[in-house]
Amino acid sequence: MMPSATLLGQALISGVLAGGMYGLLALGLSLSWGLLRLVNLSHFALAFLAAYLTYEMGTTYHIDPWWSVLLIVPAMFAIGLVQHWIFDRFKVNELASLLITFSFAVMLEVGIQLYWTADYRRFETHYATWSIKAGPFYIPVLELILCLVAGVLAWGTWLWLRKTYVGKALRASAEDADIAAAYGVDHKKLAYLLSGLGAAYAGVAGTFIALIATLAPAQIWAWLGVVFAVVIIGRLGNPLGALFAGMLIGASESIAMAILSPAWAPVVSFSVLIAILLWDPEWS
Amino acid sequence: MLLEARNLHIGYGDAPAVWDVSFDVDAGEIVSVIGPNGAGKTTLINAIAGLLRCRQGELRFDGADMKRVRAHDYCSHGIALVPEGRRLFTKMTVEENLELGCYLPAARAARASSLERVYGLFPILRDKRQQPAGELSGGQQQMVAIGRALMARPRIVLFDEPSLGLAPTIVDDMFDIISRVRDDGAAVLLVEQNVLKALSIADRAYVLEQGRIVATGLPDELLKQPHIREAYLGV
Repeated sequence: MMPSATLLGQALISGVLAGGMYGLLALGLSLSWGLLRLVNLSHFALAFLAAYLTYEMGTTYHIDPWWSVLLIVPAMFAIGLVQHWIFDRFKVNELASLLITFSFAVMLEVGIQLYWTADYRRFETHYATWSIKAGPFYIPVLELILCLVAGVLAWGTWLWLRKTYVGKALRASAEDADIAAAYGVDHKKLAYLLSGLGAAYAGVAGTFIALIATLAPAQIWAWLGVVFAVVIIGRLGNPLGALFAGMLIGASESIAMAILSPAWAPVVSFSVLIAILLWDPEWS
Repeated sequence: MLLEARNLHIGYGDAPAVWDVSFDVDAGEIVSVIGPNGAGKTTLINAIAGLLRCRQGELRFDGADMKRVRAHDYCSHGIALVPEGRRLFTKMTVEENLELGCYLPAARAARASSLERVYGLFPILRDKRQQPAGELSGGQQQMVAIGRALMARPRIVLFDEPSLGLAPTIVDDMFDIISRVRDDGAAVLLVEQNVLKALSIADRAYVLEQGRIVATGLPDELLKQPHIREAYLGV
């Protein structure tokens, strides 16, 4: 039976907003994969580390997430630098980066589990359930803010890559690092900056994960598949593409759940990815 | 001397490609290095651009010991490369490719006037400036590669096989441009298989065969040598 138009409209709104989280998570991943040829599987673990830190600061020290994010994002940036030092020190290539960051992720998962245990954690705020009513539809405020933040970050990053010399140098290095260096680009230094930035974006995502989701260590892996699909659909190294792809997948999943059943949701992202790759095998 | 190479040995891994090569380029000169495919010409020019490390020997540019300079600092000394096969940033626009040429602060300060100069040399690039460089024709891509080098405000431009894969009419234009680059004040080191063209615009030339310099002199003198006439001109 076909659901009502109102239900479909609500599913579309919820899906697009939920897709903002996919886009936000995909952003950092897409940058390091597309521009540094490093696939960072630990990106999700870093986001969850940030989420747990947000939770810890909120519950133990009563620091509001809107303040703790100001500490967490620079801390994540620093972690990104340390991580890149390891990539740099051991001359890690694309394939090796998968293995190494997988082990990072497992270590972070174990660390999180040791400190916060495997219990589900929920960071309660009085504004978690706020929503705006627009006609027959409800728009959850937190998700809306998340989407706005993701939009500003994606758009800002896109402009940074297109308009600044550093951004152009990063794109040039991704194509031909030797020739970029021959024109003075110190790729190593820029790679550190970008790795730090990717981890900082994981920090932003983590703050919203703490506000919106229930935390458990194993959740680190929950978004892996769908966000990878989003990164490729959005094209590697394209921040706006990552955001739009996230919203597309979020909306498709949500509508599939409304029309078919929730069990179909995980199939959607890869179906869209396969369809796109069949249409244009050179897509990413 | 602007560029001095003394007894250079260059190689890839364990495989040496250039042995004991010495040559000079002075300010305002066009110096050509000719030789057959596989003689080590690209290896030599890449080492002078900083893309490859020299194993032995001395490489000096305006007195500075270039063996101590990091690859991404070669450009700041005034060395710019027009690489073999152009090696443009194909997904970036024509203008972005040119802007990469003036990435360093000193060249960046002159961005606007440098762009005017490049668009003056190659008016077609002004029309195509928002197009991805990979979509241009071979000749136009070569123009971008030369323009990118000029944007760096170099004191020497290294041309690696600039005529490769271009239509004969465009090849003539390219060599005119190379002469103009010199006339505008930069020295030129030109590596070419097109021997007649390379010798016709050169002030001096070297012949590189199997990684060694086997002859050197003025272009007219080289053209008189029986070995050169046989090997490169087929007469």
